[in-house]
Amino acid sequence: MRGLLARRMKFHLLGAFVVSMGCATLYKFGVAEPRKRAYADFYRNYDPMKDFEAMKAAGVLESAPAK
Amino acid sequence: MANHSQLTFQDASSPVMEELMGFHDHALMVALSICSLVLYLLTLMLTEKLTSNTVNAQAIELVWTILPAMVLIMLALPSLRILYMMDEINEPDLTLKAIGHQWYWSYEYTDLKDLTFDSYMIPTTDLPLGHFRLLEVDHRVVVPMSSSIRVIVTADDVLHSWAVPSLGVKTDAIPGRLNQTSFLASRPGVFYGQCSEICGANHSFMPIVVESTPLANFESWSTLMSSQ
Repeated sequence: MRGLLARRMKFHLLGAFVVSMGCATLYKFGVAEPRKRAYADFYRNYDPMKDFEAMKAAGVLESAPAK
Repeated sequence: MANHSQLTFQDASSPVMEELMGFHDHALMVALSICSLVLYLLTLMLTEKLTSNTVNAQAIELVWTILPAMVLIMLALPSLRILYMMDEINEPDLTLKAIGHQWYWSYEYTDLKDLTFDSYMIPTTDLPLGHFRLLEVDHRVVVPMSSSIRVIVTADDVLHSWAVPSLGVKTDAIPGRLNQTSFLASRPGVFYGQCSEICGANHSFMPIVVESTPLANFESWSTLMSSQ
């Protein structure tokens, strides 16, 4: 029981730090990095003209009505 | 546009909005780490695993001053980087004016033979099938894609705000004042926004629709509009 508070406090403060950093890491690699990767993948081989022609054919553009 | 029950941002359609989304992820990550730390410590205290009879707290007080200061710096640096990025002087390819009225927007493309038009919301009773309620307008703001667009925003009567979330733009429209913003639409498409400053009875019914198209299509549209 001697030094219980100090021991416990040391353990739990370290534990709190680990939990906090763990949550941040989980968010970073679970949400933030996949999002950046998704945008990079989308734009890597993106063809704007092809996309535009598809939108035009679908009739969603006021400036380029579908024929 | 946002889907029903969407809590997150709309997909970014401009480089600035992509940066803002990245910063939001960073800030949320910091907030999550702080909240999880506090929750963990709170749980310990409530279950009496962590108690304290400390009377001399110099060391811990130093820690919980320095650590939050570092957290604030971690938040401030990327925030200021993006703030200055948004205000960078760039040569716009096109300048257009957006003027808020009660309760519609009017647009002036004075670069192009004085093309001006009003943009009213399409009432729900007149909405074609498949179109978006309270978001569609009779005349959209057509802009060339991948071009730097400068928008000068003002108002005719009361405060309004010209906002398009997907492009990362929100600028107040103040009578007697010209506010400038700029954006670059990374891809072709249709981007919706709504007036973002309370302006009277029909504040919710004066949307903004930006249509981004290739330059050739924009030129033929502007020629057609100017001739009308």
